[in-house]
Amino acid sequence: MWRRSKAHGPNIEGVFIFKRDVSFHIKTPKTILKKVLVGLVLFFLGSLAAYLLPFLIPSARLRHPFFPILIMTVIFVVAYKPIERWVKKFLEKYFFHKKTFAQMALMDLASDLAVNLDLQEIANLVVNTFGEVLHLKTAALLVPDPLQNNFEVASAHGWTLAASKKTHLAADTPLLKLVHQTGPHVLVRGPILQSLTWQEANALARDFDALQAGWVIPLFVKGELVGLVAFGALSPDTVFDQADFHFFREFASAIAPCVHNALIVKRLKQFNNELQDSQSQWVQKTKLNAIEKLAAGIAHEIHNPLAIISGKAQVLLMQKGAKQLEPNVQESLNAIVKQTRRAADITRKLLMYSQGSRGPQEWVSLEKVLDETLALLAYQASLDKIEIIRDIDPELPRYYANVQEIREIFLNLLLNAVEAVGTEGKISVELKYHRDEELVEIVCSDTGKGIPAEHLDKVFNPFYTTRHEAVGLGLFVTKQVTHRYGGSIRVESQEGVGSMFILQLPCAAAQKAGGEKEEASILSNQRTAR
Amino acid sequence: MMKKLLIVDDEVEICEFLKSFFEDRDYRVAVAHDGVMAFEQVGIFKPDVVLLDIQMPGLDGLQALKKIKEKYPKMKVIMVTAVETQEKIEEAMRLGADNYITKPLSLEYLEKDVQDKIELLAKGV
Repeated sequence: MWRRSKAHGPNIEGVFIFKRDVSFHIKTPKTILKKVLVGLVLFFLGSLAAYLLPFLIPSARLRHPFFPILIMTVIFVVAYKPIERWVKKFLEKYFFHKKTFAQMALMDLASDLAVNLDLQEIANLVVNTFGEVLHLKTAALLVPDPLQNNFEVASAHGWTLAASKKTHLAADTPLLKLVHQTGPHVLVRGPILQSLTWQEANALARDFDALQAGWVIPLFVKGELVGLVAFGALSPDTVFDQADFHFFREFASAIAPCVHNALIVKRLKQFNNELQDSQSQWVQKTKLNAIEKLAAGIAHEIHNPLAIISGKAQVLLMQKGAKQLEPNVQESLNAIVKQTRRAADITRKLLMYSQGSRGPQEWVSLEKVLDETLALLAYQASLDKIEIIRDIDPELPRYYANVQEIREIFLNLLLNAVEAVGTEGKISVELKYHRDEELVEIVCSDTGKGIPAEHLDKVFNPFYTTRHEAVGLGLFVTKQVTHRYGGSIRVESQEGVGSMFILQLPCAAAQKAGGEKEEASILSNQRTAR
Repeated sequence: MMKKLLIVDDEVEICEFLKSFFEDRDYRVAVAHDGVMAFEQVGIFKPDVVLLDIQMPGLDGLQALKKIKEKYPKMKVIMVTAVETQEKIEEAMRLGADNYITKPLSLEYLEKDVQDKIELLAKGV
């Protein structure tokens, strides 16, 4: 037998079965201890009774040798249950804390969180597990926001989304002051409120209400408050006992370092992002400055020769008193004029892109600019068979911007649409005002050839074009200008059906910029009126 | 009375084609190639309208504009620029320029604009 089992290695399965067999009777060390204690107490009581009774009651019968056995049996039978209960309570109170399923689940969670560094994930797990295993009405995890100097809700269970976004706890609220005084103790709404004067209680109750909580567990790491778990029960009668509070503190000390680490990671990420942003902004600015210098230089050097070329051609075309030019000569001269204008457009657009929003800004009627642009377009493109529909929101407000830039936006969108439509089709321009979001929306759609799906993400790239005659700066500049006003632009397109450019410009920022000037100009108008 | 136009540009060729264009349309045209010369010409020739380039060596267009407008506030000055720099345009408008156009020029538009200015002068505006 021995050789066989040696050859097979240790009989793990056997050990396992043996353990399981015994565990049927003796589950844990706690049970063994309990049984031993109960036995000892019973034996002690029985012995005491058997020894003392003959002294107290002087009867010959009690001195019978069987009497101690009899009395011990009686005591065993009568006192076993109460003593067992008492011993169990005693053990649980002083030696073994009762661990319910909920507590086990939460402690498991706490150990899982130790390897997690994502604050949002940690917060979600904590509040959801907490809320569900303890059957709570609400549970929320609040973490400090050093920028705002308050506590914000990282995640909440049983809250409305709006409430969790809206709720903040300023650093000087009574609740947080109290937490700093009491340290890691769990705050219980009822008893605390009763112990305060009514003004203090009122102020504190407001904080508890804001957190929809009856209990608040502070999370401390080395004396620093890194978070709060606030929770409220379904029933107002719910109470937790001392063992529960003990557990809450244990749980808090287990998850506090996780929250702390995650907070640090989050802040580091934020700083890193800010750094990257400012770096890329700087790079962008430097690039723009370089482009501006270059474009201004090129414009000066190129526009003069272009002016000469185009001017001489125009002089010939518009000569008075001379004989009519040959058709092919006239055509060539026209082409020269047109192409020089196109060449000048490149530098002009580059310059506009690089100069940023430094042009003079004023309150612009988008409708008026659109109409001017449509008139201008009629010169540049043949619109004979193209139907242009304009749809303007009667509530459209004026927009504070640089007219030139707004005209550029319209012109580029429209030129693009005209190009897509070709000789015959429909272009529609909608100007909408979204009052709730304070947005002006420009939607330019056409029934043109559309953009292939694989090119959709490239249309805003500089020098991307499908036309032989174009530079590919139009939509790029449009996007840059839109971004400058804090807006966004996107395109939806289906090949063979048409394209739609949707451009949104926020009013709030523009109005803020223009608001003061508006007031100033009203004042000066009043002055001149007087 | 014949309409008088002074063309100021450091590019000789530009002056040449503008001169032939406007002479073709019965203007008396004088030409200057820098700011100092322009200011002298303004005194001698007394033009109705000045086409003034902004970028020029020596006394540039903006400085010349200032001097002209100081001495002859009624004279119409149209600024011509190769580069549409917002600051320069604003500066020019502040100094009293009556309009600005950018190169390459549209002669059709330029002729109309000059004509407008002369009509304004005739009305005494």
